Amino acid sequence: MTRQRNIFCYLMVAPSLVLVMILGIYPMIDSLRLSMLQYDLMRIPTEGTPFVGFANFMTIFADPRFVQSLVNTFLFALIAVASVLFLGLLIAQVLNLEFGGRNFLRSLVLIPWVIPPVVASAIWMWVYQPERSPINQVLRSLGLIDSNIKFLTDATTTLGPISIPMLAVSSVRIWGGLPFVTVMILAGLQSIPKDVYEAAEIDGASVIDRFWHVTIPMLRPVLAILVTLLFIGGIGHFEVNYVMTGGGPNNLTNILAVMAYQQAFTLFRFDLAAAISSVILIVTGLIAALYIRDRLRHDSW
Amino acid sequence: MTHGNVNEAPAYVSPASRMSVSSLKLGRILTWIGVALLAVAISAFILLPFYWMLKSSFQTNREILAVPPIWIPSSLNWEGYQRALTMIPFMRYLANSLLVAGVTMVVSAILASMAGYVLARYAFPGATIILAAILFSQLIPAITRVFPVYFLIKDLGLINTYAGAIVAYVSFSLPYAILMLQGYFRTSYPIELEDAALIDGCTWFTVFLRIVLPISIPGIVAIATFTFLGAWNDFLWSSLLLYQGQMKTLQVGLRDFIGEFGGLQRANAFMAACVMATIPALMLFRLAQQSMVRGISTGAVKG
Repeated sequence: MTRQRNIFCYLMVAPSLVLVMILGIYPMIDSLRLSMLQYDLMRIPTEGTPFVGFANFMTIFADPRFVQSLVNTFLFALIAVASVLFLGLLIAQVLNLEFGGRNFLRSLVLIPWVIPPVVASAIWMWVYQPERSPINQVLRSLGLIDSNIKFLTDATTTLGPISIPMLAVSSVRIWGGLPFVTVMILAGLQSIPKDVYEAAEIDGASVIDRFWHVTIPMLRPVLAILVTLLFIGGIGHFEVNYVMTGGGPNNLTNILAVMAYQQAFTLFRFDLAAAISSVILIVTGLIAALYIRDRLRHDSW
Repeated sequence: MTHGNVNEAPAYVSPASRMSVSSLKLGRILTWIGVALLAVAISAFILLPFYWMLKSSFQTNREILAVPPIWIPSSLNWEGYQRALTMIPFMRYLANSLLVAGVTMVVSAILASMAGYVLARYAFPGATIILAAILFSQLIPAITRVFPVYFLIKDLGLINTYAGAIVAYVSFSLPYAILMLQGYFRTSYPIELEDAALIDGCTWFTVFLRIVLPISIPGIVAIATFTFLGAWNDFLWSSLLLYQGQMKTLQVGLRDFIGEFGGLQRANAFMAACVMATIPALMLFRLAQQSMVRGISTGAVKG
């Protein structure tokens, strides 16, 4: 009986498991293998694909553009995760209040969700077009700027590795990430029993006191999950940077995923591309493994 | 999330309790003003690009190029839409996207329901490790497996075929669908229902097919919507697996405009194409919004 039931279970899982293994798990391992071969399309006819150990990693780490992209990748992820959480907390707080038009505002916040990332990037590129940008127009009429901000091309106004194009591209990633984060935090907020807040209010706690001493501690589990998911996603992010700037100007918005894609499909250096994506795999894999271990320990699937 | 730790919330000493009533009121009003200002600023941030796309799509090519920009179209002009439909094979790209995302959604929903169900209901040997592997492949970004998958699909001769893209999208959407569905199966109806049917002599598969699936339709639909949107929105895989002329999906095809964007001559057509590329996702989202939000929310609260 149990044996039959197990066979039934394996049959039900098998199609999914086979696909996930062949196209999900195996390619990650294969990518690591590829990163240790010489896989230069120009040299394959004469030299084949010999094993070269860590030579590809030495090559990329010696490339200042790679190091810059590595730093950018983390900066982009940090800026996006921190901002999206901050704004998400604010919006969710507001949407959790009772007021007229709340449902309308709730659907409004979800708008970026239905806009495909490529479309979002295209719209923002148009919004950022210096002479015709509504943002520049407003800032000018308020007297805040004298000349138009060149959102995606200004390579000179920088603060360390942080540049105007980096902030402009980050804004688009933040814009796209807000709905998911807000929905998650809102759900977390709604699970906090009302009487906790009432008790705090009777004790005379201000809105800010209540936020720090009731809301944040109660939201900790949701926030922990969000930080993990967003950070992993942020490290591997590709689309917005690729479509909006392709990594430019001067490599200022280049990130590992975009660099790997370009190494492979414009420079045909699949070995260097695999090495770069292996760096992403190692970083995100470590975080993911810790996260899964934690979930297994608490048995909360 | 447990409610038991309510009492552990740190005790606070509030200065407000020592304040007079009037200053308390003033503080409350100031807080409300601050909240309102923030709400307006954030709404502007969210709405501006959306509005800018809509208004640009309805402007003439002359009006759209004005400096400084004109915020309200002088009239509803359909020139951009007409040009968008003729400048690129828009309808063909749309059909490609609908086909790939649609088939992916159906296949993935069937396979994920099967797997999600047994993973939720039966503690068979290996279930935990299977879930861990699925979660791992869900978490790791797609770029880390791009190159081997590209070579694999290429070796199978499936580049620039619908089949190649669909196989890829099904595999990449399965982990999320399975994880969400097994959570759904676990919590959405009483297990006694199945036990009764099993005692009546049904096989496990008929129980799944006749009892579990019908009552789980709402959850499956919500997760299928996610799958559809994932494949519909994706750029990375379709740019690699369906790059040739007539086979492009909408997300890749839209880039036909970007090459010309330097001249700005096609901005209204481009924005019109963007509006049209958003509509199918928007309609689907409207249909499934409630259950989608609920779906993620249960995940959040459970977490």
